[in-house]
Amino acid sequence: MTNAIQRDLATAVELRAVTREYGSKQARVRALDGVSLAFPAGSWTAVMGPSGSGKSTLLHCAAGLERCTSGQVFLAGRDITNAADAELTTLRRREVGFVFQSFNLVGSLTAEQNVALPLKLAGHRMSKKDIRAVLASVGLGDRLRHRPRELSGGQQQRVAVARAMALRPAVLFVDEPTGALDSTSARTVLGLLRGMADTAGQTIVMVTHDPAAAACADTVVFLSDGRIVDRAQRPTAREVADRLAALEG
Amino acid sequence: MFALSLSTFRERWQLFLGAIVTVVLGVALVQSSLLVLVSGTSYVEAVTLLAMTLGIAAFLAIFIVGSTFAFTIAQRRRDLALLRLVGGSRGQVRRLLLSEALLLGVIGTALGVPLGLVVMRVQAWLLRDLGFVPATFAARWQDWILGVSAGIGLGVSLLGVLAASRRAARVRPLEALRDTGNAARVMTGGRWFFGLLFLAGSIALVTVSRFAGMDGAVPLSINATITAAVALSLLAPLVVPVLGRFAGGLVGANLRDGVRRSASTAAPLLVLVALVLGLSGTLSTMSEAGHRELQQDLAGDFVLASADVPRVPGILVASTETAVRTSLADPGEDEADDEEALVVDADAYQQVHRRAPVAGSLRDLHGTTVAAAGVPLGVMLAIDGVARRVVAVLPESVNAGPAYLLPRDSRPAIGPARTILRVEPGVTVPEAQPADEWIANQSSKQDSTNSGIMTVLMGLAGLYSLIAVINAVVIAAAERRGEFAVARVTGMTRAEVVRMALLESWAVAAIGLVLGAAAAAGTLFGIASAVSRISGSTPVSVPWQALVVVVAGAFAVVGLTSVCTSLSATRRAPVTLIAARE
Repeated sequence: MTNAIQRDLATAVELRAVTREYGSKQARVRALDGVSLAFPAGSWTAVMGPSGSGKSTLLHCAAGLERCTSGQVFLAGRDITNAADAELTTLRRREVGFVFQSFNLVGSLTAEQNVALPLKLAGHRMSKKDIRAVLASVGLGDRLRHRPRELSGGQQQRVAVARAMALRPAVLFVDEPTGALDSTSARTVLGLLRGMADTAGQTIVMVTHDPAAAACADTVVFLSDGRIVDRAQRPTAREVADRLAALEG
Repeated sequence: MFALSLSTFRERWQLFLGAIVTVVLGVALVQSSLLVLVSGTSYVEAVTLLAMTLGIAAFLAIFIVGSTFAFTIAQRRRDLALLRLVGGSRGQVRRLLLSEALLLGVIGTALGVPLGLVVMRVQAWLLRDLGFVPATFAARWQDWILGVSAGIGLGVSLLGVLAASRRAARVRPLEALRDTGNAARVMTGGRWFFGLLFLAGSIALVTVSRFAGMDGAVPLSINATITAAVALSLLAPLVVPVLGRFAGGLVGANLRDGVRRSASTAAPLLVLVALVLGLSGTLSTMSEAGHRELQQDLAGDFVLASADVPRVPGILVASTETAVRTSLADPGEDEADDEEALVVDADAYQQVHRRAPVAGSLRDLHGTTVAAAGVPLGVMLAIDGVARRVVAVLPESVNAGPAYLLPRDSRPAIGPARTILRVEPGVTVPEAQPADEWIANQSSKQDSTNSGIMTVLMGLAGLYSLIAVINAVVIAAAERRGEFAVARVTGMTRAEVVRMALLESWAVAAIGLVLGAAAAAGTLFGIASAVSRISGSTPVSVPWQALVVVVAGAFAVVGLTSVCTSLSATRRAPVTLIAARE
C-alpha cells in the first residue's frame, strides 16, 4: 500500500547540496562536495566514478546510514537529514532495502530465514510458500535450507536479491553488486535487478565502477572528487567505460 | 528473536562454550555451598569458608560471563550491524542478546544442578577432611534449592550480559559494510565511569578498613580486593598500550592495536592474582600479627594444657584460664549471642599478660563484673542471665586475645583450661610446654585453618580463571586467522607467526599479573595499617609460594593455549584464507 503511494511521487530519493567531510581539522577530507541529485521513482540509477570519488559515501548518506555534514536528504517523501535512530530503523524496515558487494547475509541463518528476516523484524509474517516462490524466482528453489557459507558467491548474492524482492522496498540501495562475482554470476544478478525494475517498477540506486553493471541501468550519473560531473541515459558499456576512462585520465 | 538466538548459539557455540562452563560451575558451586551451609550452620569455620565460596563463585561467574559476552560482541559487530541494517531496532538487538543470556542460563542450570550434587559430596568430604565439621557430617538435599539454582543460573547470565547488550545496541548499521568492525573505542564512557567508580570504592574500602575493628577489617579488605580487581580490569585498556611500548617491534604494535583483545585476556589473570595475593596476604598478615601479639602479651615461661598445677618448687605465678561458652545479651536487647569467655583469676592473669586494659582495671574484676573488649566502662551486660558491670575495657586484639574475662569467684569454670606459669630462673616444669613452643603451636594451628580455607578458595578462583583465560585466547585466535595469513604471505614462516602470538600472549599475561599485584598491594596496605593500628607493628606477609605457583601456571596455560590455537589457525595455506573472505 505505502509502496504504491510512494511510487506516485516523482522522486524516491533526493539529495540537496549534500556535503560530507571526514577527519579532524588538520586532515579534513571532503568526500561529497555540494551534491544535488534526485533519483526518480520507478527507475534504476547507477552512480559511477573512480575509486575515492565519493560513490559509497553518497549511497550511505542517501540511505540514512551516515549523516551529512551539511545539506538535506529526502527519502520516500520524508526529510531524514536529522532523523532519530528509531525513525531510521522504521524506515529501514519498510522503505529501504540493501544489496551489497559483501552479500551481508546472517551467517547462522538459512537462505529461507535470511529472506524472511527483514519482514520478521518488522513484525510481519511471510508464508513459507511465498518465501520459496521468491527464492525459486532467483533460481535457488533447491537451496532453501543452506547456510550462506554452503553457497557460492553468486548464490549468496541471489539470496540477498531475493531478500530485497520479498521486502519490496520503496528504494533498493545496491553497492557494487558484482564486485565479488565471476562474470556469469554477475550477469545473472544484474538480470534479476533489471527484472525487478521492469516488472515491479522497483526504484534502484546502484553504486558501481563496473561499466557492464552501469550499462544495465536507466540512467548513469558520474561522480568525481565528490561532485557530479556527467550523466547519460541508457548508455552502452563501452560508452560508460570511455567516460570513466576520461575521468580517470 | 529467540529463534535467531538459537541459531546463533548453534553456529557460534565456541564463543559461548566458556560462558556455559562458567555458568554451570557457578550454579553447581552456589547450590552445593548453600546446601552444605544450611546443613551445618553451627560450624563457624565451615560457614566462613562456604560463605566466601558463595561470594567468590557468584562474583567470578558474573564477571567472566560479562567479559566473555563483551568480547563476543566485539567479534560479532558485523552480524549485529547487519541486523540493524535490515531493519532491526536497538531494542531487538538487546532482546537478541538477552535471549541468548536466557538460553545460557537454562543450559547452565540444567547442567549445573546435577553437577552441584557431585560438588556437594566433594565439599562435604573436604570440610570433614579439613576438620571443620565432624566425621558424621552429611549435607542434605532440599527441594527449594532448585528454584535458587535456576535463579542463580538465569541471574548470573542476565547480569553478565546486561552491559554487553547495551553496548551491542549501539552498534551502527554502517559497520556491516566495513571490513574491520573493531574500530570502535575500547574505553567507552561507561567503562571510564565504572572503572573510576570501582577504583574510588576500593580506595574508600581500604581507608575504612584501616579504622574498622579487626572483625570488620578482613571482609572490608577482601571486598576491596574484588573492587580493585574489577576497577583495574575495566581500566586495563589504558595500561595495555603503555606496556606495549616496552615490548617494541611487531609484538608491541599488535598489543597496542588489539587493546580490547589484550585487555580481555589480561582481565581473568588480573582477578586471579588480585584474589590470591589479596586473600592469602590478608590471612597470613593476620596470622603473623596474631603470632606477634601473643609474643608481646605473654609474660609466662610455661603453658600447661590443664587446670592441675603440678607441685613443683619454684613456680611464682600460675594463672589458670578456662574457656567457657556463655550466652550474652547487650543492654536493652533480648536476643542473646553465644560468646566464648575466659574465666580467670584477675591477680594471676595480670602477672602473666602484658597487655593492659585501655580503661578501668583488672583489679576490680571480682564478683558480678566482667572485662570486655569494645564495651564502655560501667555498662551492664547480661551474661548467662547474670547482670555484670564492665570494670575494665580490654584492648582490641588482632585474633589471639579474649573478648570477655569473667572472675573465677563468680562463675563456675567447666571447660577446656590452660595454665600459664611463671617460674624462678632455671626451673623447668616437665608436664608443661615452654611458652615459645606453645605460641608457635597456636600460630600453626591458625595457619592450617587459614591454609585450608585458602587452598579451597584459590583452587576455585584458579579454575574460573583457567576457563576465562583459555576462552579469551581461543576467541582471540579465531579472530586473527586472517591477520596471521597476511603475516605469512608477507614473509613470516608459520613458526615465526606462532612465536609472535606466543610472545604477545605472554606480554598480555604479564600485564594481567602486574595489574593484579597492584590491586592486591592496595588491599595489603589497608589490612597492614589496620593491624598496625591495633598491634603497633606492621608485619606485611606476602604469600610468595602462592604467587610463584600462579605466575608459573599463568604463563604455562596462556602459552600452551596460544601455541595450540595459533597452530590450528595457521594450519591451512595462507592464500586460501586471504582469498576466502566471509
